Formats: sequence, structure tokens, C-alpha cells
Amino acid sequence: MTTLPRNSTSEHDRMEHAGAGRYWIVWALLLLGTLVTLLLSRVHLPSPFHLLVALFIACAKSALVVLFFMHLWDHGGANRLVFATSLIFVVLLIGLIVLDNASRFALTNPGHGRTLDMEPPGPDILTPRGPPEPAARPPSGPEMQPEPGAPVRPPGR
Amino acid sequence: MSQSLATTPPAPADAPAYNPRNYLNAEAGIASWLLTRDHKRIAVMYLVVTTLSFALGGFYAMLIRIELLTPGPTIMSAMSYNRMFTLHGVVMIFLFMIPAIPGVFGNFFLPLMLGARDVAFPRLNLLSLYLYAIGAAIAVYGMIHGGADTGWTFYTPYSTTTVTKVVPILLGAFVLGFSSILTGLNFIVTTHTLRAPGMSWMRMPLFVWSIYATSVIQILATPVLGITLLLVAFEHAFGWGIFDPARGGDPILFQHLFWFYSHPAVYIMVLPAMAVMSEVIQASARKNIFGYKAVAFSSLGIAFVGFFTWGHHLFTSGQSTLDAGIFGVLSMFVGIFTAIKVFNWTATLYEGAVKFTTWFAYFCGFLFFLVFGGMTGIALATVSLDIHWQDTYFVVAHFHFIMVGSVIMAWLAALHYWWPKMFGRLYPEGWGLVSAVLIILGFNATFIPQFLLGNYGMPRRYYSYPERFWPLNVASTAGASLLAFGFTIILVYLAISLRWGKVAGPNPWGSRGFEWDTLSPPPTENFLENPVYTRGPHDYTEAPEGAEVTHAT
Ligand SMILES: [Cu+2]
Repeated sequence: MTTLPRNSTSEHDRMEHAGAGRYWIVWALLLLGTLVTLLLSRVHLPSPFHLLVALFIACAKSALVVLFFMHLWDHGGANRLVFATSLIFVVLLIGLIVLDNASRFALTNPGHGRTLDMEPPGPDILTPRGPPEPAARPPSGPEMQPEPGAPVRPPGR
Repeated sequence: MSQSLATTPPAPADAPAYNPRNYLNAEAGIASWLLTRDHKRIAVMYLVVTTLSFALGGFYAMLIRIELLTPGPTIMSAMSYNRMFTLHGVVMIFLFMIPAIPGVFGNFFLPLMLGARDVAFPRLNLLSLYLYAIGAAIAVYGMIHGGADTGWTFYTPYSTTTVTKVVPILLGAFVLGFSSILTGLNFIVTTHTLRAPGMSWMRMPLFVWSIYATSVIQILATPVLGITLLLVAFEHAFGWGIFDPARGGDPILFQHLFWFYSHPAVYIMVLPAMAVMSEVIQASARKNIFGYKAVAFSSLGIAFVGFFTWGHHLFTSGQSTLDAGIFGVLSMFVGIFTAIKVFNWTATLYEGAVKFTTWFAYFCGFLFFLVFGGMTGIALATVSLDIHWQDTYFVVAHFHFIMVGSVIMAWLAALHYWWPKMFGRLYPEGWGLVSAVLIILGFNATFIPQFLLGNYGMPRRYYSYPERFWPLNVASTAGASLLAFGFTIILVYLAISLRWGKVAGPNPWGSRGFEWDTLSPPPTENFLENPVYTRGPHDYTEAPEGAEVTHAT
């Protein structure tokens, strides 16, 4: 209770020493990051790097925003602790979800490159088909056997 | 309503113990309530709106139980039934269980226990009440115009393709999430900055510790729910395809994101219940808690570990077996911290001078539901067992025991324990005990048959069932009727006691909780002089003798 006002005044003093020039530099860096993202989107990178580079630039930009525009650079222990805690939980959320996708039965992963190319393991249940030809139906019981000479029962009775 | 009843102070000659200049009658008129920044008035308004929500959710519950009275159609169509269980879940969780104890008792007693005049941001506090009202209004609009049939979990791909009005209900829950975040933020800042002189962290009442842990979860987890619900709404409205496998999305991603909030949300509901019980148990045993630090830090432990368990809801949904194993083991860690609390509460009773009040009866019910529900939870966290019980009534009974049982017990215990402080009147103790027994028996009669039904294989959310499940379903419906009867008795006698109840002194229970040091009902400024704390809460070593004796302040 007593430490809070003293802390925030000293932080406030330090912030006033940092001039407006610093925000202009950060702004220029953010614009540069956007430009690089735009240009890189036109370059064909091998498959994982496309995503990784874009994510890296995005993280760098958000770090700049959090550190300077949101003043975390000037703030003391408690605020940094709060931010670090929330980062840990973001890592937890993403980490265990990615672990699930990485260790899951591969074909259940949507967008998996091989999903579309592979032959399905069993009969193709996704393609709608008519009922099987009566002759091809395996005999499953004596009452299912068509009588010799009797008319063939229509399928799907 | 409660204003006109409770603001009429009794004549001083009749009731010298009643504080005539209190927060209820400090200002008059509707505007003085709607524009108030007094945390106590906001708490009373929360009490009114959450009780209304509870009645609405209970109404849906009764309709569900009546429909399941017979194996076939009873009173509604299958489609209406789907809507009913969805609305029951949405109303009870988002409109009642999450805001009820923090909104009412957290708001009222957190500043009183810390020796503060109000919460840190009184206007923000009022805003969170308004956000609750707006969110509830949006959700009710969705319910009237078609409802939703997705279940309260909004699982994709059904929720993104259903023709029912799922978007308003999603947006309502989104807005309610902001209300919850603001309340949590307010409590955290209040606890850090507004403690009175002498109120060190290790002197804070255990109620404050648990509410603090709840607030941490609210701030960390609720944004994830907000984003997820918004994504479902956008996918439903514009077909974004985030959760649609045909367009490279992943329906299981929704379940991950949803349960990253909704499992910790169980602790948003249960931790405040534990908060109440830690206070109640000390006042009933007339003893300081056994192991203050263990109970205080186990709240933070539950809040922390609660974030590592969400995948136990995905055991059968296509999650990898590695993740399932990890989440199964991590889920069981919650049992450790809960057990610390349970053993410390029961150890507190040892050699205590227990008086069997209504709120102590609710403590007993709470302990039973928490332990029984918790143990079935440990069983459900075992992957091989869960495959048998997944989506059966066993799960329904389990989460009703652990969340609903403990929250309702704690909510009623808090209502009875703090009623004299909030309104300056005593409830009738005899009727209180009768209704407590009815409710605890009714709750068991409702959900123990559901444990059995689930174990026999009756799936949840089904409209009809084979005839061999009939007797247990009748038993469950009978139990639900008993519950409804018990709640009606409470509503009637509490409403009567607002005007005609015996006037309570500042401290009718002889409790040594800090909130009892002020007058009943408290004045608007909470304390007549600035409090200074020289002892811990519930320090009964020099307490006045006799529970019914009011000690002068
Ligand atoms: Cu869970």
C-alpha cells in the first residue's frame, strides 16, 4: 500500500526523461516490419519458413508496442510480473494444443498435406453409393438366401 | 422492492441494535440505486438479478425433469427439449454461478473485511453490473427469439451450422465475460491497495484469499472465452472456416480454446464457495482455522493448477493419447489442493464449540458434495474410466455435485450467515434448518439416481430413454421437486424477515470476522471510524462468551 505511490511517481519521472523521439523511432520500426511482411509475402519461401518468418515479425512488432507504446520498458517489477505471467499462460495454451496436433493420429489433422492424397484405409464411406448388387452381397443367413428361381428382391427393403 | 421493505427502520425504542442510518436508507429513490457507487448497494442489486437468473434457470431445469418423467414425449417436442437444456446450462453458468458469490458477497464483504470504504474502482464496479444486465438482456433476447440447441458448450461444427439463434446467446455470454473481468480486476486492485492499517497479507480473512484467487482466474481465462465465442459467432455468420475441416480448420481447436476457459471457470465458481465456507466454518466452530497459510495458499494453488487440466474434456474427441495422458495426470493435482482445504476445515471442527445453525447445516452439505463430487472427478480424470462414462449422466451428476452442489450450499450458507449484517434482520432459524434439510436431501435425490443412470449407460442430452431407466428418472424428478419446494420456503421467509424479522445486533453470531465489527446494516461509509487491525481474523482467544450475545462496539 505504501510502496505503490512512491513507485509510480519514480516511474513517471523516468518516463518524462524519455522524449518523443523514441516513439517516432519505434513507429518507424513498426512500419518497416509491416513493409518487410508485405514484401516477403511475394517471395516464395519453403513451406514452414513462410509461417515462421511472418510469426517472428509479428512477435517483434507486438514486443515493440508492449515495451514502448504501453510503457513496459519503464515499469517496475509488479507490472512486468503480470505481463510475464500472462505470457506463460499463452505459451501453455498454445503449447499443449500444438502438442496435441503434433502427436495426434496424423490423418485426423485437418489440412494435412497427405490427407487429400492418401487412399482411405477402408471402403470409401464418404462417397455416396447405391446399395451393392444383390449378386455381390455375401450370404449372411439362410433367410437371406434368394430362393433359386425366385425373383431377386429389390435392394434396401 | 427490497428497498421499500428494508429501508423502513424500526423505531429505536423497539430495536436499539438496528443501525437507523445505514446504506439502505442513506438515499431514496430508484435513481439513487441505479447510479450508486456504493459497493453494498451494487451487491444488493446483484443479489436481486442473480436470484432472478437462478429462478429462470431452475424453471428450465424443472421443465427438463418433467419431460424426462416418462420414457417418451411428455410435455414438449425433442427440439424444445434441446433448447431447454441449453438455456438451463447457459443461464445457470453464465448468469448465476459465475457472478453470484463474487458479485453479491464479494462486493459486499471484500471491502468490509479489508477495512476499506469501497472497492478501488467504484464506477467500474457499477459498470460491471450494467454489463451483466446488458449481457443477460442480449442472451434473453436470443432465448425468446428461438433459443439455441447447442448445449451450453457451443461445440462446433453444430454451433456454427445450427439454424437456431445461437449468435445472440454467444454475444450475451461475450458481454457477460467483460462483466466478470472487470469485477475480478476491481477485487485484485482493492486487495493490493486498500487494506487498512494493520491488515497485512497474512491477516487477510480467508474469504479474501479465495476471492483474490478467483479474480486471477477471471482475468487470465475469460478473455480466451471471449475470443472463442466471437470466433464461433463470426464463423456462424460469415463462414470463416476456423473450425471447419473442409476449409483447413479444426473442430477440436474449438474444444481446446473453450475448455481453456471453462475448466478454470469451474474454479471461478467453486473457489468463492470455498471462500464462504472458510469463514462459516470458523464462525461455527468458534475457532481459528487449522492451518491458515495452507488454506490461503491452496486457493492460489487451485487457481494455478486449474489451468493445466482442460484437456480432460477431450479424452474421446480425437485428442492425441499423449495429450490425454498428460491432462489426466495434471487433473488429479487439483485434488491435492482441495484435500488440503477439506482436511483443514474438518480439523478446525475438532474441539470446537459447534452450534448447529442453518449455515453450519449447509457447510455439512457442502463438504459431502465437494468430497463426493471431487472423488468422482478423480475417477473421471482417469482416461480408461472416462471412455466408459463420457457423455453419460454420470458426468452430469458429477459436475452438478462438484459445481452446483458446492456453489448452492455456499450461496445459501453465505445468505444466511451474512443476512443479519446485510439487512439488519434475523431469518427464522427453525425454518432455515427445515429448508436446509429439504434442499440437501432433494439434491441427493436428484443426482444420485443420475450417477446410477450414467453408470448403466444412459447418455446425457437425450430426449427419450429405454423403459428400464424409468424408475431412476422418476426418482430424480421427485428430488428436483423437493429442491424447488425448499428454495420456495427460503424465498418466502427471507422476504418476510426483511420487514418483520427479529432485529439483529451488529454481531448476532458472536463471530470474530472483521466484517462483524461494524453496525448492522453498515453505514454508507462502512465504518464510523477508520479501522486499525491488531489481530488476525477469527481470533477467538478473547472473544465474548455466548453466540447470541451482541457485544457493544
Ligand atoms: Cu474440467
